[in-house]
Amino acid sequence: MRQQYANRSLFIVIGLVIIGVGIIAQMVRIQNSEQAKLFLSRGDIYAGEFRTFNPERGEIYDRNGHLLAGNRTVYEVGVSLPQMKDVDAMAYVLSTYLNMTDGEVRDKLLNSPADWTYVVVKDYVSTETVTALQQVLDRLDAADDNRLNGLGFKPHFERSYPEKNLASNVLGFVTQDGRGYFGIEEKYNDLLAGVPVQVWVPRDPNKATEIPRVPNGTTLVLTLDRDLQAKVENILDQSLRDYGAKNGAIIVMDPKTGGILAMATTPRMDLNNYTDYFQVYDNGSQYNRSIGMAYEAGSVVKILTMAAALDTNTVTPGTTFIDTGSIEVGGITIQNWDRQAWGQQDMIGCLKHSLNVCLAWVATQIGSPNFYSYMEHFGLGHPTGIDLSGEAMGRLKIPGDSDWYPVDLGTNAFGQGVTVTPLQMLMAASAIANDGQMVTPHVLYAMLRDGHQYNVPSQYAGSPISAQTAHTLTDMLAVSVVDESVGALLPGYRIAGKTGTAQIPTEYGYDPNHTNASFIGWGPVDDPKFMIYVWLQEPETSIWSSQTAAPVFSEVAQQTVITLNLPPDMVRNQYGSR
Amino acid sequence: MQATQIIHAYKQAPWRVQRQYVGAFLLVIIVLALVAALYLDLSARTTLAGRDIQELQAQITAIQRSNADLETELADLTSSAIMQQRALELGYRPVKPGELDYVFVPGYVAPEPDILLASADSTSRSFALPEIYSQSLLEWLDDRIKSRGGMQ
Repeated sequence: MRQQYANRSLFIVIGLVIIGVGIIAQMVRIQNSEQAKLFLSRGDIYAGEFRTFNPERGEIYDRNGHLLAGNRTVYEVGVSLPQMKDVDAMAYVLSTYLNMTDGEVRDKLLNSPADWTYVVVKDYVSTETVTALQQVLDRLDAADDNRLNGLGFKPHFERSYPEKNLASNVLGFVTQDGRGYFGIEEKYNDLLAGVPVQVWVPRDPNKATEIPRVPNGTTLVLTLDRDLQAKVENILDQSLRDYGAKNGAIIVMDPKTGGILAMATTPRMDLNNYTDYFQVYDNGSQYNRSIGMAYEAGSVVKILTMAAALDTNTVTPGTTFIDTGSIEVGGITIQNWDRQAWGQQDMIGCLKHSLNVCLAWVATQIGSPNFYSYMEHFGLGHPTGIDLSGEAMGRLKIPGDSDWYPVDLGTNAFGQGVTVTPLQMLMAASAIANDGQMVTPHVLYAMLRDGHQYNVPSQYAGSPISAQTAHTLTDMLAVSVVDESVGALLPGYRIAGKTGTAQIPTEYGYDPNHTNASFIGWGPVDDPKFMIYVWLQEPETSIWSSQTAAPVFSEVAQQTVITLNLPPDMVRNQYGSR
Repeated sequence: MQATQIIHAYKQAPWRVQRQYVGAFLLVIIVLALVAALYLDLSARTTLAGRDIQELQAQITAIQRSNADLETELADLTSSAIMQQRALELGYRPVKPGELDYVFVPGYVAPEPDILLASADSTSRSFALPEIYSQSLLEWLDDRIKSRGGMQ
């Protein structure tokens, strides 16, 4: 009997062991089967997801900390298709709030590719709209109504420009794909955008990992002064109306550092509506005429010719020239702007009366190699290197070029046959205003990243003339501006400057009826704090820059000294002596 | 015969041996249960901490978004055009050069803009994970021992 029990027990144990081993064997087989691998790989899809964390785009401030370009939250409104319960309700609600037709919403929801589980109905939806939609969802949730199941909102940033069209030509804009176009936004796109980080985020709570900190894009502080920029833009807009000019550009620069304090051009656009670009501009060079559009600037170039002549000791301020009203250079006769003879003139008189004949003679005295060497050292025909995208180089024909003729030496001396951008002229003239040292213009003042501040140092672009030449010429220009361009004067401040009235070249020769009016000037003469360049394109009330660009210069200079807190010369000298 | 008697005298009763086996088995079970309970507790805490971190990170992101929105909104409200309009509505007008008085203040240096000052301060506020979140148990013990030694 006892043996019988033992046998039964043994039988049961063996049976259980066989079953157990069988179960384990089956488990091992299933775990290692092809299907198991397939299931595991499918499971991995739902185990987590790769998420890209885009850093917040760096902000842009003016020199006084006013925000010029920031970010604001907008939403991507989407629907999870497997969770969607009622297409009719979804289409009705979304078309009502998202300013879409019922058909458009239905098309997105019903005609998406078969393997899609999530459909974006609309992106860049404002916070206000999403808040209203969320309230609808909350009301339905409270009523246990699931007709809008699957509706979701994903927040992200959108570029925002609080000043709208202020300094739009300097800032540029960012499109929905996050890329910057024009100006600062394009030039510093990589710095501003930062580096996106992609992370595998598991759904298993046991594997919850820390999401890496994604540093924001670099914040930029510009040399621009927002208030001065606004004033200069207002003056430019008003001057276009007053003088009937087609377009224009005004730049205000610190001659000692090259920092751009204001850069106004027309037309401008509200950067928040960047899609207007194609309605506002015909081509990219119009976006910022100050740097993108080269033109024959005319007599403002005479200051460079005179600088070269003084620096090579070809002339002194007292050198006399008998102006007969014409001069022949390279077999071509050159005449004065009024086709008159001005008789005996010294070099100050030549600048004061802006005599083409005199300056053409000066260029011939300097000699072609020296003249063009100086012009190249002044940066003509080369980009200034400003940290804005879309800069034009202008054109300086030099001996040896196929289209250079000997007469060009004479015409180039008074600004014909050579094209420059307003900024190139300003940079070249900075050598005269800044003791012979030419500065590289820039708009970036400082960069801020991860709590560190990097100040952008001023850069010098060479010394094309000596300090003595610079001082002498500045005095000559200060004298000539008093007699030649009364409209440019600023009471209380000694200003140096030069007008430029340039005919416009066409395919049939120079247009006799239209001009480009320019003025370049700086002050106070004994310690220059600002340089201003004014360009009015084809003014209608007068073709002469002394009657158009010069008064605009004066107005800009007036606003500049107020904004920068620059006291009149007398007050400054009085305090300076203490 | 005498040896057998001695063995029998000292041999434990079968029920006693069985009880020892059962006891040992139960001990193993209890130890395993304790280890399992500890593991469960620890992994639950880790999971909760992980979730807390994720929630806090989500909060940080939301606050950063809110900050950016508020900053932009403030800039909208204080934009050049709006400030000019508000000033005009309050009866102000642009100043003319002749209306300005300049006062000489010895040693006065114009202040830097806030944005630059804030940046200089923020170096001391840069993010740093406390050590407690990254050090191992041994490192923590070592730290404690050293700190106690230092206190003495």
